[in-house]
Amino acid sequence: MEQVSASAISAKQQMASRFFRKGVFLATLSGISYGLYTAFITLAMSVGIWEDWYGPNLAGLTMFTIVYVIGALGSSLNYTLSAVWGAGIAGARGKLRDFFKSVNSKPGRMMVLAALVGGPISSTAYIVGLQLAGSIVIPIAALCPAIGAILGRLFYKQKLNLRMLFGISICVFASFLIGLQSVAPDAPPQMLMGILIAFIAAVGWGFEGCVAGYGTSMIDYEVGILIRQSVSGIVGLFILVPVFAIMAGDMGLSVSLLGDALSSTNAMLIFFVSSFFTLYAFSLWYKGNAMCGTALGMACNGTFSFWGPLFCWIILGVFVGQEGWNLPFVAWVAAVLMSVGILFIAVNPLKLIEKRGAV
Amino acid sequence: MKRALNFAVLKHFTQVEEASAEDVIEVLKDDYGDYKMLNKKAIYEILLTGEVNGFLQESRFELDANGQLRVYYKAHQEGRDTINKYLP
Repeated sequence: MEQVSASAISAKQQMASRFFRKGVFLATLSGISYGLYTAFITLAMSVGIWEDWYGPNLAGLTMFTIVYVIGALGSSLNYTLSAVWGAGIAGARGKLRDFFKSVNSKPGRMMVLAALVGGPISSTAYIVGLQLAGSIVIPIAALCPAIGAILGRLFYKQKLNLRMLFGISICVFASFLIGLQSVAPDAPPQMLMGILIAFIAAVGWGFEGCVAGYGTSMIDYEVGILIRQSVSGIVGLFILVPVFAIMAGDMGLSVSLLGDALSSTNAMLIFFVSSFFTLYAFSLWYKGNAMCGTALGMACNGTFSFWGPLFCWIILGVFVGQEGWNLPFVAWVAAVLMSVGILFIAVNPLKLIEKRGAV
Repeated sequence: MKRALNFAVLKHFTQVEEASAEDVIEVLKDDYGDYKMLNKKAIYEILLTGEVNGFLQESRFELDANGQLRVYYKAHQEGRDTINKYLP
């Protein structure tokens, strides 16, 4: 009897340990996917018709159209393709029927809300920020776990103690370091605006992580991500892009530019790759948050502070040979500092060491 | 209309005192038998996730006659209230 109990305890500990490790692995994999999504969407938006739009501009588009209409178009196209990936994968795994049953449930509506804030609003802000200021905005977006912790305290009365506040302070200091770059004499003129716009993305994603993480503890993550990407893609293409086009003075732009983008085969092939990584960047983020708690999940996902610049440098700089993807040294220091800050927000380092020792 | 599988799994715990993944599969197999995700590994993942997020708590565990681990979970009152609030 004693022996059986010991075996049961051992089996139970193994089960808990496997579950915890899987959660940390998936949350970290979401950060890696995020880095790859960033690199590939930036690449997609620099070839084919996008090369002209962001380069010589033979199409004669206004600056507003280039920054906002084109930025929203790239983001929305990516999310729509990501929804197609999501539908294919959910279909293959027999989950499509649960999509229709879940979308009008309370957790489903939470995913829709998170999708609206995290998708059309934040992702467009992120891409516009990237276009204006380059990959230096990537660590700014990594502030979202800090903002998520604050929103979690406000919405769900989640824990927010001195250690976490210390971590948030590190993140704010790191973002200040990056902000200093924009006032350097040789800084690109639109860098500060790019960083400010990217901050909107950080707030939106903090909200999304907080709300969608909670929703995904009830809804299947592959169903949840299909709701998220479908809403983000449809609202982006059918509302956000036309609204920006109207603001640019010509609603017809939204249709003609979408047509141009769809017929740019080279770019579409790369969008197909970027949208695949986008699916996992977000679905594994939710899944990781649900499996090991929002705080730790978001900290692991926050490693995209490293993966983003790393993959931009490797894919865009080394393989494609584009110039300008080497970040200034201080940005790397700030990215490391933010990651340390994020870790402090998420977990007690002493407990993490104890846990590692116990495994 | 049937609930989504994840919802049905969580909802089950508002109707019973405690259950293991094996119990849940037994109860849901008539309605969800054709779901690929109605398997022990996937259901335990839903239950462990429910535990992390405070809806469920482990009540006991044992090795069954085949030497396989069975972990039983229950929904405390707050967990039941939360599940019922989100999944009426």
